[in-house]
Amino acid sequence: MAKDIRTEQKRKSTYILAVLCALVFLGGIGGMLWNLTRSHERQVEILQDGKILYTVDLDRAEDRTFTVTYEGRTNEIEIRNHQIRVKAADCPDQICVHMDWLESAPIVCLPNHLSIQYADGESASGLDAVAN
Amino acid sequence: MKTNLSEKRITTGKLTELALLTAAALILYVVELQLPNPIPIPGVKLGLANIVTVYAVYRYRPAEVLMVVLVRIFLGSLYGGSMMTFLYSLAGSLLCLLGMLLLRKVTDDRTIWLASVLGAVLHNLGQMTVAVLIAGKGVLFYLPFLMTAGCIAGAFTGFTAQLVRNRLAGKS
Amino acid sequence: MKRIMSVILGVLILMITAGCILQYRKGEGETSCTKELFAMDTVMSFTAYGSKAEEAVDAAMKEIERLDALLSTGKESSEISQLNAAGSFLVSEDTKMLLKAAETVYGSTDGSFDVTIYPLMQLWGFPTGDYHVPTEAELSEVLPLVNASRIRLEGSRVTLGEGQRIDLGGIAKGYASERVMEIYREYGVTSGMVSLGGNIQTLGAKPDGTAWKIGIRDPETEKEGNSGSGAGGILLALPVENQAVITSGGYERYFEENGETYIHILDPRTGYPADSGLLSVTVVSENGMLADALSTSLYIMGAEKAAEYWRAHGSDSGNAFELILVDTFGKVYATEGLRDKIEMQDTERQVKILER
Repeated sequence: MAKDIRTEQKRKSTYILAVLCALVFLGGIGGMLWNLTRSHERQVEILQDGKILYTVDLDRAEDRTFTVTYEGRTNEIEIRNHQIRVKAADCPDQICVHMDWLESAPIVCLPNHLSIQYADGESASGLDAVAN
Repeated sequence: MKTNLSEKRITTGKLTELALLTAAALILYVVELQLPNPIPIPGVKLGLANIVTVYAVYRYRPAEVLMVVLVRIFLGSLYGGSMMTFLYSLAGSLLCLLGMLLLRKVTDDRTIWLASVLGAVLHNLGQMTVAVLIAGKGVLFYLPFLMTAGCIAGAFTGFTAQLVRNRLAGKS
Repeated sequence: MKRIMSVILGVLILMITAGCILQYRKGEGETSCTKELFAMDTVMSFTAYGSKAEEAVDAAMKEIERLDALLSTGKESSEISQLNAAGSFLVSEDTKMLLKAAETVYGSTDGSFDVTIYPLMQLWGFPTGDYHVPTEAELSEVLPLVNASRIRLEGSRVTLGEGQRIDLGGIAKGYASERVMEIYREYGVTSGMVSLGGNIQTLGAKPDGTAWKIGIRDPETEKEGNSGSGAGGILLALPVENQAVITSGGYERYFEENGETYIHILDPRTGYPADSGLLSVTVVSENGMLADALSTSLYIMGAEKAAEYWRAHGSDSGNAFELILVDTFGKVYATEGLRDKIEMQDTERQVKILER
């Protein structure tokens, strides 16, 4: 009898766990889709340690290449044809370089504490308006 | 199994087992480092070393599992990472471990993989917290990617651990 | 026990997940409203948060359209156009308010702010875009018309001097943005912003409790395209609450003739475009109307006199204001009250703080 109750409980908790996993999984997929389809501005922020180093308006930016340094390590950032990417970096994983031109997902170089992302009204650095 | 759980002192035999597990985890960790990562999203990986963690959670006492995990993270960071990887792994693993130890109470041999999925997601949440502190809120963009990938990776490592556990249990 | 634990755990994980999703969603809820409108020759955007956000924004837009119809020099039917044509006219309360405020600033800035500048603007062709550099003779004919002290205000009747025409463009947007704030308040909005073609006024803080962040353009990159600074036009960011941020700069409107650049900010005393060594003046104040009028007149006065003016009037009760000045050398000056607020977007430049 006692065993029955325990197996019953176990079955219930298994059920709850399974539902939870499914929810997290579906939530993740939903979040991915939402993030990728969300429209963004053409204002790009280059952040180091969460602080804005540069704000670049891709629509108006001229082609150029410049370097951002973190504790002696560098990321070479290229702007070309109104696109931006990390051209070269001396971080160990090179993920930022492989991500190529910035699309909706931010380019992140965690070893060098660098991220390049579209400005967002909700991000700590986003501007709510520009005075003219 | 029963003796393992009731014994307080760590016997030489147990110590050897734990050391072997740690070594296995380290090897898996280093091997994974050498594999090319098909998904260029920071933080997304299979986490082969977690097979060992999941297995250990279901076999040893919390303190013992913690030892295995901490030593693995420390040595792993020495082998193939930096201070940063150490911080990420630490935050992720500790949160994951905590969750798994709680989940162990409501799962059995056939549902290890479910606990592993949630553990992996917790691992990602821990990593994410550190990443947000370092790189700012922008990285939250990746949270859904990490969670989805975490579910898949967690299920994989969980099933593997389940398989290992059942095989080892069957033989002994 | 186990069941309770699993439930608690589940709820915890769900909360973490849902919390993030909610955070993403913030600002898109049914209690926020953002709309745009084209009026007074520029784009205006309205943002409000509150249970009646949409009604508030609609009412504010209606008010802007009413003020535009009332004050625009470009519309023949407007009160200002009729006053300019007739020389004497019974005006509305709004116009009266504006003229009184303009008179005060006219006095305190020694005539740098002058609403009777319209004939001069027309001479240069700024209202129509039909630009033309006037001759000395033309200027000496028009310049005597620019003198706000000749405006008579008796009751609701405004009488202009012979040949005088007024343009409230230098102060109307500031007044309009103040009216928007009043309407927001009437509708219970506690958090809102309006941008009237870049003249910004904010109500309260953002719904998440943080200050509104307003970007100030780099006048140098504005005029010469993008320089190598990497800042893409934004010089600095300024967090504000309950304040108006209004910038005047030569880069906003100008024309070129024979290699010379002529900006739209005319010095009412010389009749020529202001050449005071400044590229832009930003005024931050709770009084939007004052900020609007001062941004133009302090631009004309130049950095030194602007700083002097701030020391004399910057802490007047109800009319307190702070300044950000950018000069032709690209130097950035800010008054004391903004010391800890300014967030430079261009790491190579520094702000010099003007002390009281």
